[in-house]
Amino acid sequence: MKKQEIGAYIITFLLIFLAIVWIYPYIWLFISSFKPAEDIYTTFWPKSLTLDHYKFIFIMANRFERPFVRAFFNSLFISTTVTFSVIITSALVGYAISRIKFKAGRTLFNFTIWQMLFPGFMFMIPLFVLIRNFNWLNTYQALIVPSLTSAWGIFMFAQAFKTIPEDYVDAARMDGANDFWIIFRVMFPLAGSTASIVGLFTFIGIWDNFLWPLMVMKDYNKMPLSVLLASFNHEYASYIGPILAGSVIQTIPMVVIFLLLRRYFLQGISMSLR
Amino acid sequence: MSKRSQFGRKERVFGYSIIIPYIAYTAIFWGYPFVWMLILAFTKWNFFSKPSFVWLDNFLKMFTDSVFLQIILNTLNFLAYLIPMILISSLLFALALKKVKFGRTFIMLSFLIANVSSGVAYSLLFSNLFAVNGPVNRIFDALFGVTIPWFSDPQLAIFSICLIITWKFIGYYGLILYAGLQQIPQSLYEAAELDGANGNVLFWKITLPLLNPSLVTVTVLAIMLTFGIFTEPYLITGGGPMQRTTTFMIYMYDTAFKRIDPSYATTIAIVTALLSYGLVTLIRKVFEREVSFV
Repeated sequence: MKKQEIGAYIITFLLIFLAIVWIYPYIWLFISSFKPAEDIYTTFWPKSLTLDHYKFIFIMANRFERPFVRAFFNSLFISTTVTFSVIITSALVGYAISRIKFKAGRTLFNFTIWQMLFPGFMFMIPLFVLIRNFNWLNTYQALIVPSLTSAWGIFMFAQAFKTIPEDYVDAARMDGANDFWIIFRVMFPLAGSTASIVGLFTFIGIWDNFLWPLMVMKDYNKMPLSVLLASFNHEYASYIGPILAGSVIQTIPMVVIFLLLRRYFLQGISMSLR
Repeated sequence: MSKRSQFGRKERVFGYSIIIPYIAYTAIFWGYPFVWMLILAFTKWNFFSKPSFVWLDNFLKMFTDSVFLQIILNTLNFLAYLIPMILISSLLFALALKKVKFGRTFIMLSFLIANVSSGVAYSLLFSNLFAVNGPVNRIFDALFGVTIPWFSDPQLAIFSICLIITWKFIGYYGLILYAGLQQIPQSLYEAAELDGANGNVLFWKITLPLLNPSLVTVTVLAIMLTFGIFTEPYLITGGGPMQRTTTFMIYMYDTAFKRIDPSYATTIAIVTALLSYGLVTLIRKVFEREVSFV
């Protein structure tokens, strides 16, 4: 018994050590972005701190026609728009196919499950053709409109709404509530964790999306940060400091939203098992 | 009664008013590309002229396309490292997490934060961290007097990319397995211990068989992930050295936009999906077991 106790403490310390190893790349990234360029590869603890790399990103990069600040807000705009749209449309369609009894709803529910079988990359080139036919290349629409709804989000909301007792809806109807009121004032708050999971994964997915914007966006002024950073790295690979500083900026929103919604992330993992 | 059915009608009208716009949207942004996908797979096209019908030529071309065959080998190479690495490390992580005395939240968050990292940011980060004269090689040089060509030797490059992907996913997959471990009733272990089973027997006869659904889930997710690898090799190795880290996605992208052959690129995407689907089905057939706790 005693031996097991000691073993458990050894495992605990080992895992805490590994946890630090796991975030070490982040720590290195963060510290390095404040180090003078010649120290980045050589020393871990900075001898002196500098804001040069961030100054370069915020001010100088514009002269290279690489507007990082603008790209950050492009990413923010695109990701937030898509996230809100996905949450709202998923809640609406999820409600229609899970709570309203009609044949079209059941058919649509089966169709969304079928849709999820197809990996996104199969549609990428044909979708590019569509965007090109719309003359939407190098526009924000190309990055936003194809992602406005999500079969997975609809499925998640439909599953969550199914478990809410009918009494809640009946009670609201007695009080004269209309359908929109029922969805967003009665059902939605009861499915709060689903909404957070769908929102979190959608935001992260869009913010981190790389291949699709790489295909449809060549205009530096409308690029999301991920693509601008990659193109900057491609052409100015020796500017290690600014690249690392840009990586810090690219990472921060994802880490912040993850830390805010971490409880739901854990719930999402156990949900994906069912 | 009549009030109820009238009510149902009103409800259905509302239902249609929601799903009809959704269906229209899906028809444009899912249905139309779906049809185009089928058209492209059986035609030859260069984005400008009129597509010309070529039967199964795009599919047949793959059998003689040495790059495509190389990519199949590359993907098998990736799978050979990635699946054992991910399965063993996330299983060890889950088992260890069960025993942890304190600091569980900190450990989980540290491992998960790797999972929500941005593909572009960590690819750039690791290509610097593991650069030939980068910090990691400096440590190796100081300790053992050797430097490791992480991304310039073909096998090592594949291994390094698998290492990065393992870094990213061990927390996520580990927690899936951890949730699976939590579902195994403690009473089973107690009963087996009374019968004199030791730790080894408990692991191989109880934990591993009962964890089967979660282990298969993780394997399936990891396989689908491997077929979709793009960002890491694209940014770190550019598909090299000697095209050994070129993946299906890189080839699809290059074929469509550098060789201006969208019809062949779409065919590649379809075959990639079929291969991944086939492998997943095979894995499920061979390894999946019905598990119930009664």
